Amino acid sequence: MNNSEPKIVAFCCNWCSYAGADLAGTSRMQYPANLRIIRVMCSGRVNPVFVLKALRVGADGVLVLGCHPGDCHYLTGNYRTRRRLSITMKFMEYMGIEPERIQVSWCSASEGSRFAEVVTEVTADLKRISPNRLFND
Amino acid sequence: MTREIEKKLRDAVRELLEKGTIDRIVGYEAGSLKFSTTPLITSNKADVDRLVINPFTHSNLSVFLRDLCGKVGIVAKGCDARSIISLIQDRQIARKDVFVIGAPCGGVIDLAKVEKLTGLDRDEVDDIVWQGEKAAITFAGSTQKFSAKEVLADSCLGCDPSDFKECDMLIGEIEPIVGGKELGQDRIREMEAMAPAQRWEFWKKEFSRCIRCYGCRQVCPACFCDRCFVEETEPRWISPLPKWQDNLIFQVVRMMHVAGRCTNCGECERICPANIPLGSLTKKMEEIVDELFQYRAGTDKDAPPLMAAYQPDELEDLMR
Amino acid sequence: MKKIKKQSIPELLEKWQKEFAVFVPSKASGVSQMEVWDGQDTAFLNRNRNTAVPPKEKFLPGMEKMFGFRKEEGSYVVEPTDGEPPKQLLFGIHPCDARAIGIIDMVFKDAYDDKYYLSRRENTVLVGMACTSPYDSCFCTSLGFGPADAMDVDIMLIDIGDAFLIEEVTEKGRGILAGAKGVIEATEKDEKEAAAARESANAKVSRKIDTAEISRRLPLVFNDREFWEEVSAKCVSCGICTFLCPTCYCFDINDEMLQDGSGARYRNWDCCSFAIYTRMPAENPREEKWRRVRQKVYHKYLFYPELFNVIACTGCGRCIRQCPVNWDITQTLSNLPAGSPGKAEEKKKAS
Repeated sequence: MNNSEPKIVAFCCNWCSYAGADLAGTSRMQYPANLRIIRVMCSGRVNPVFVLKALRVGADGVLVLGCHPGDCHYLTGNYRTRRRLSITMKFMEYMGIEPERIQVSWCSASEGSRFAEVVTEVTADLKRISPNRLFND
Repeated sequence: MTREIEKKLRDAVRELLEKGTIDRIVGYEAGSLKFSTTPLITSNKADVDRLVINPFTHSNLSVFLRDLCGKVGIVAKGCDARSIISLIQDRQIARKDVFVIGAPCGGVIDLAKVEKLTGLDRDEVDDIVWQGEKAAITFAGSTQKFSAKEVLADSCLGCDPSDFKECDMLIGEIEPIVGGKELGQDRIREMEAMAPAQRWEFWKKEFSRCIRCYGCRQVCPACFCDRCFVEETEPRWISPLPKWQDNLIFQVVRMMHVAGRCTNCGECERICPANIPLGSLTKKMEEIVDELFQYRAGTDKDAPPLMAAYQPDELEDLMR
Repeated sequence: MKKIKKQSIPELLEKWQKEFAVFVPSKASGVSQMEVWDGQDTAFLNRNRNTAVPPKEKFLPGMEKMFGFRKEEGSYVVEPTDGEPPKQLLFGIHPCDARAIGIIDMVFKDAYDDKYYLSRRENTVLVGMACTSPYDSCFCTSLGFGPADAMDVDIMLIDIGDAFLIEEVTEKGRGILAGAKGVIEATEKDEKEAAAARESANAKVSRKIDTAEISRRLPLVFNDREFWEEVSAKCVSCGICTFLCPTCYCFDINDEMLQDGSGARYRNWDCCSFAIYTRMPAENPREEKWRRVRQKVYHKYLFYPELFNVIACTGCGRCIRQCPVNWDITQTLSNLPAGSPGKAEEKKKAS
């Protein structure tokens, strides 16, 4: 356990998870303020280099949120996210990055509570491991 | 033996050129250094007699296909042939424009390994020849025999030549490569035995030597982007300065871009002037792709590229 | 002439270490290059094959901070990098690499003094070591010197078995030897042995080019597109040959910015083999590979000689042995078409 507050970069898709985050806010749900949300049109826009750049410039963790499988606004965008980021997660683990640092989840526009839950869990995960010093000289 | 194969190859290519089946040939000719070959790209029938096949045909010649017009004949080892299929899958070349001359190999000899075994540089070694299952290396006045595992490139050790497909012509016989699948995985297991933090330290040290010559990218047939992400400036994803952090990100993102395309031909590792063990990364990516998708790059020209396909219900155990 | 026993070298290096950062050829990092001497290693005294990475990176590092800057009251304040570069001594430089340093010195003090390069250069002592085992890719003897010639170094060592014969080339060289233990007068026999070593090293360089003929032909074949397309076909456009070339000096300049508006300006190696090297908003004059390959050859063998009267190649052979596809510059140079004299005349008239 470390006492510092982790910084988390969250890539949220425009149609589901960003709206889910909105709902969590307007419903006044409590969730940790560790998130920096970047809205993307679809989670399928998230290139592995986005994830690595976020870690490179100091994020403690990266969370990618998209629509549930089958619900993608663009039909198949999140399926591609899933493939691409699965190999990213596996490969970065081989490089020596803690698996907690890169996470992917699904959250619909109506799931404000799920959004709050996922953020709470990811924040707790990242508090359990040390702050990101991977890219320090 | 080799001579005979070479004669067969030369005769076949000459005929293909004469008949107009192909407009040009991409093959190997003897290089200007000991134990080297160099690509021979020609449409001239007179050059055909320079074609060679030997255990030093390291280059993956499919890297040249996108730049050549007309119908191209290409001499391909097993891994190269899979790269060609992968390029067809990605619509980088058309099946009808390429005539694949399969040249099954028993694995290429890793000269870096030979240097370690002999304690000499490659130009100081007198001779390397196969004698049955062993490689006989003559140096410092005597000949010593080494097992295939000791001299073959690591990328060859796990090679499965049975999926040699889409050949329009085959020169020689497909034979299993000495070694076996597990041998090729040894270095992955070694790496995985290390603690995560140790692994990161290892790669940090390795990538601090990278000089960003982009040799790995340039020799890679799977790296076919017209504009590489490292050259983007708006936004600039990684620094063009050779800092280890950016060197590492360049390489891991490259690995992700070639996932499902990389046939583990081993060229990136062989040519790296900083001796970074990139084969450990390509091998691991091959393993991940196999584990998650039961997919092997370049084995089915009609299959969609790995990252362009999906199954509705897969990988959910990896999602939070 | 003086000489020094090989066993006395470590003590000498220790003495030098008091004043300089002492670099020696080493493979400790995983690639053979000049590394800080660890006080133990003596392998380089007996096996002096040239390093994979040339010593130019000790003057022109792959990445170098030029200055920092920060925002202050709506403007920028430049923060110069502090102090002089440390004093360094490079031990075991091969003649080809020493010559290369001499060659690129010219460009760094031509139009203006490049203080980054020159300050490192001035703070450096070069201890050369005659090359006794050239690679099969070496062709230095075609470029006007031999593998055992003392040029552009401060002192030169020639291996004579259990000792090195010492040639003091510059005042700087004499200076660092002053009071050195183990330096004794060489005998006539030692000098004979050194001469024999020099001769045998010369004989080992078997690769040859004809620079006079090349200089005559190059101006005639610039527009021979067919030839350049053919020779460049197998080039993969990576940066290995230029980054590892001891005479390639191109660099790019990049700013690294922090969020508060401060940052630093760096320079890093650049390479004419990259298509991006000449990319400009409107066009790229060397988009095609054959133009880039041609440029590399011309820069070394025609443009540089026109400017500085010396070929910017020392025949170290790195570009041949490190090339992924064994693209061999000596083959290209030897196969230059003879060109038509008429064209040369036309060119002369036009200029």
